[in-house]
Amino acid sequence: MRELAILAVIGVGTYAMRAAFLGPARPEPPAWAARLLAPVGPAVLAAITVPALLAPTGHMSAVDTPAAMLAACVAAVLWWPTRSLPLALFGGLAAWWTAGWLLALG
Amino acid sequence: MTTLPTSRPLTPVAWEGCRNSLAVIVAYLPFGLALGAALASTGVPKLLAWSTSPLLFGGAAQLVSVQSIAAGANAVVVVLSTLVVNARMLLYSASLAPHTAAWPARWRWAGAYLLADPVFALAMGRFGRPDRGGRAQERLAYYLTVGLTLWVGWQAITGAGILLAGALPAGLRLELAAPLTFLLLLLPMVTNRATAVAAAASAAVAVAASGLPLGLGPLVGAAVGVAIGAVMGGRNA
Repeated sequence: MRELAILAVIGVGTYAMRAAFLGPARPEPPAWAARLLAPVGPAVLAAITVPALLAPTGHMSAVDTPAAMLAACVAAVLWWPTRSLPLALFGGLAAWWTAGWLLALG
Repeated sequence: MTTLPTSRPLTPVAWEGCRNSLAVIVAYLPFGLALGAALASTGVPKLLAWSTSPLLFGGAAQLVSVQSIAAGANAVVVVLSTLVVNARMLLYSASLAPHTAAWPARWRWAGAYLLADPVFALAMGRFGRPDRGGRAQERLAYYLTVGLTLWVGWQAITGAGILLAGALPAGLRLELAAPLTFLLLLLPMVTNRATAVAAAASAAVAVAASGLPLGLGPLVGAAVGVAIGAVMGGRNA
């Protein structure tokens, strides 16, 4: 099946990136690679996170966009001092549900 | 490397890995269920959609790959955009390597398969301690327990999400589960000016480019963010 072949190729590529430094036990990447790698995580995650927060249902809306912004702030504020993933996530979701409900009433 | 006979048993380390993973699995429930439901709604056959869980073992990549397949993107675009989303695995691999160099080679190569975001976060949290998370065997026991527990949990949660796709209550709005989870992966990575600017530039460009077809917006944003971050990081070094 064509789709399964595409997914398998992605799976192999993903494994290759995961194993790139772990497998051969390279202690340090070369300097140029380290410089390029450092911003990869934050850049990729910000690029998929922020557009999804601004348009939670695929488009900006007067109810969902501010509710999502508030939820993101609540999650960040809860995460910072506690570093607790479950607390921050469920706090953010609770803010999203509450704000969405209140804004829909108003 | 020769080591003395183990003085401390590995079971307590394994239990700790298990306990730490269960907290993460609870936090990944909303995202995993939402992802499963999103995968099921793309029109891609259910078993194929679920196969991304064992094949890719990473929610962001699973979402991107199945969405772009469903949007009719050609194979090269699907593969490239998903691999760019997963390029952060190179960073994880490089950051973890100094802590895993003493493991037997077969476990390094096998363990690489388990290197998903939360596995990396838990492992680095422990290996970054002053005692480096104990002996090499203790680090390995912790890493494998965390990886396998999260792997089993993730297969189950995404499978449940796909099966429950139509049955979840309509009032349970989980659209925000994925971006909130990604936000909580992003925050620990913003550790200095270069990473903060990379994230901000990437986000701004991705939003501006969100009209691009085939989900190319995040790709363009990430490329600009990496370039700016690399230039800034190089200047500070």
